[in-house]
Amino acid sequence: MDFVPHDDKTITEMLKVIGVNKIEDLFIDIPKDLFINGLNLPEGLSEPDVLKKLKELGKKNTIYTNSFLGAGCYFHYIPSLVDFVISRSEFYTSYTPYQAEASQGYLQAIYEYQSVISRLTQMDVANASMYDGSTALAEAAIMASIITRKNQVIIIEGVHPEYIDVVKTYCWGQDIALKIVSVDKLEDKLSEEIAAVLFQSPNFFGDIEDVSALAKTIKIQAPNCLIIQSMTDPTCLGILKPPGETDVDIFVAEGQSFGINPSFGGPGLGIFAVKDKFLRKIPGRLVGKTKEINGEREGFLLTLQAREQHIRREKASSNICTNQALCSLSALIYIVSLGRTGLREIATQNFQKAQYVKNKLREIPGYEILNTKPTYNEFIVKCPDIDSLIQECKSLDLLPPLPLSKYYSDMRDIALVCVTESNSRDSIEKFIKASELASNKQKEGRA
Amino acid sequence: MEYEFPEELKYLQTHEWIRIEDNIATVGITDYAQHQLGDIVYVELPEIGTTLKKGVNVAEIESVKAAGELMMPLSGKIIEVNTGIVDNPESVNSSPYGTGWMVKIEINNNSEIDELLSLEAYKEIVEAEKK
Repeated sequence: MDFVPHDDKTITEMLKVIGVNKIEDLFIDIPKDLFINGLNLPEGLSEPDVLKKLKELGKKNTIYTNSFLGAGCYFHYIPSLVDFVISRSEFYTSYTPYQAEASQGYLQAIYEYQSVISRLTQMDVANASMYDGSTALAEAAIMASIITRKNQVIIIEGVHPEYIDVVKTYCWGQDIALKIVSVDKLEDKLSEEIAAVLFQSPNFFGDIEDVSALAKTIKIQAPNCLIIQSMTDPTCLGILKPPGETDVDIFVAEGQSFGINPSFGGPGLGIFAVKDKFLRKIPGRLVGKTKEINGEREGFLLTLQAREQHIRREKASSNICTNQALCSLSALIYIVSLGRTGLREIATQNFQKAQYVKNKLREIPGYEILNTKPTYNEFIVKCPDIDSLIQECKSLDLLPPLPLSKYYSDMRDIALVCVTESNSRDSIEKFIKASELASNKQKEGRA
Repeated sequence: MEYEFPEELKYLQTHEWIRIEDNIATVGITDYAQHQLGDIVYVELPEIGTTLKKGVNVAEIESVKAAGELMMPLSGKIIEVNTGIVDNPESVNSSPYGTGWMVKIEINNNSEIDELLSLEAYKEIVEAEKK
C-alpha cells in the first residue's frame, strides 16, 4: 500500500473548504507558551559528511570476532537467505501489516511462522509472537492468573534474573504475588492457590531440567495449576524433547537465536505457544487461513480477535496488539532454510562444542564445572581468577563469558560460558589458552 | 426494528430473559441482545454444579465484533447447560428463546424473583437504549 502525501495544491484547497488561512491556524487552541521556540539542533550535514561521522562513531565499538558470552542473547550463524528475504522493502518497511486487504504476503508469512513454531515445539497453537522472551513469560503468568482466577505464581530459581524482574513488574501491576522457589523445595510450596509454576529449561546456569518429571509432579500436586516453561535459546529443540510432548501448558522462548542478530541486545522475539484448550485465552495476534465467501480461493487474516483488547477492552488478558513481524519472518526463514536435519546438526554442534570446552576446562587446575545436570550450550565454571580470564579473553579478541557476580553478588569467580556452533576450533583453542593463562596468573599472584 | 420479547418471560436490564418453572430458571439473552452482539461465534458455559450469586458473570458470549457476559439473574446452582450452542453458536442468534437457551439454575432464594423485570419494564429499557 503506497504512502500518498498531501501536496501544496491539495492542502490549499482543503484549508479553503474549512475556512482556515494556514495550517498554523488549526493550532490556535494551544496556549502560546507551550509552543517550542526553535530546536537547538546543529546545521544539517551532507551525505558524505554524515557517512564520515557515522564511521568515526562506529570505530568506538569493540567488535569481537568470537564470543563465549550467552546469558540470554546468542551468537549463531545466520544463513544469508534470512537477510535476503527480510530485506525486501515490502517486508522491511511494513508497519502493522495486519489488514487482510493490504497485507496478504505478511499475513501468510506470519501464519507460516506460527505453523513452524507449533511443529518445532509440538504445542498445539503458537501466536504471531510477543516482544521478547521476558515479556512473553510475564504475559504467560498473567494469562494463567486469569484462567485459574488465582493470584499467586511460583518462579523456580534458574529463570533468567532479568526475566524474573520483568515478571515481577507485570505481576505488581496485576496484584499477583510472586514467590521464587528452588526446584527441590517446590513440592512444599505447591497448593490449590497457585495459578502457575514458571521455570526455565535449559536454565540460566545451563542446567537441563527433567521437564517431563517436573511437569508430572506439578500436575499431581496441583492439578489446576498451569505449567509454564521458558527458554532462552530454542535452537536446543533440535535435539531436546519438545514441550508439547510433556504436560507443559504454556511454552515461551526468546527467538533471537533463530536468525536475529544479537546487535546491542535486541530486538528480540517472544515465542508463545499453548496447548489447544487455552486457544481462546492466548494473548497476542493470531493469523488464520480461510476461504472466500463466494469461491474457493484461500486467504489469510487475523482471527479470534474477540480475545483482544480492542474488543474485550478491560476484560482482555493483554493489551498487546502487535507482533515482532520482521523478527518472526527472520525466524521463519532461519528455521525453514535449516529444516529438520539442519536444526538437529546445529543443536548437536552446540552441545558437543560446549562439552568439549567443559572437558578441557576440567583439565586446567583451579577450574571446576559446577553443573550437576546435563547442559546444552551453556555451563557455569568456578575460576581461579575470573578477572584475569576476562582480560586474557579480550586480549585474544574473544568476547568473554559472563561473570555471574553481575547478577548474584555471592557468586564471585563463577563464569557463565556459552559455546555455539559459531565458535570455530581456533576460537575454542584460544579460549582454552586464555583460561590456562588466567590460571597461571593466579598461581604467580600467590608466589 | 421490531424485537421479539415473549410475554410469559421475565427479564433483566442486562438483557437476559428468564423462564421460571417450579424452582428451575432457564436463562438466555434476548432478541435485542443477540442483535446488538452480531453473529455469535463462541459461548463459554459454566461447570455444572457451580453455585453462584445473583449479579455474577456466569457465561461468556463472543461474537465477531464483541465480547459480552451472561449475568446470573437469580442466586442458585447450575444444573444444566446447553452444550448445543457450543457446536452451533448461531442458534443464539436465530432462536434466542428456544434452542439458543444457555443455562438452567436451581433457584435458592425465591425472594429475588420479585426483583426481575416484567415485559413492560424491560421494553422501556430497550426503548431508552435505542435513543
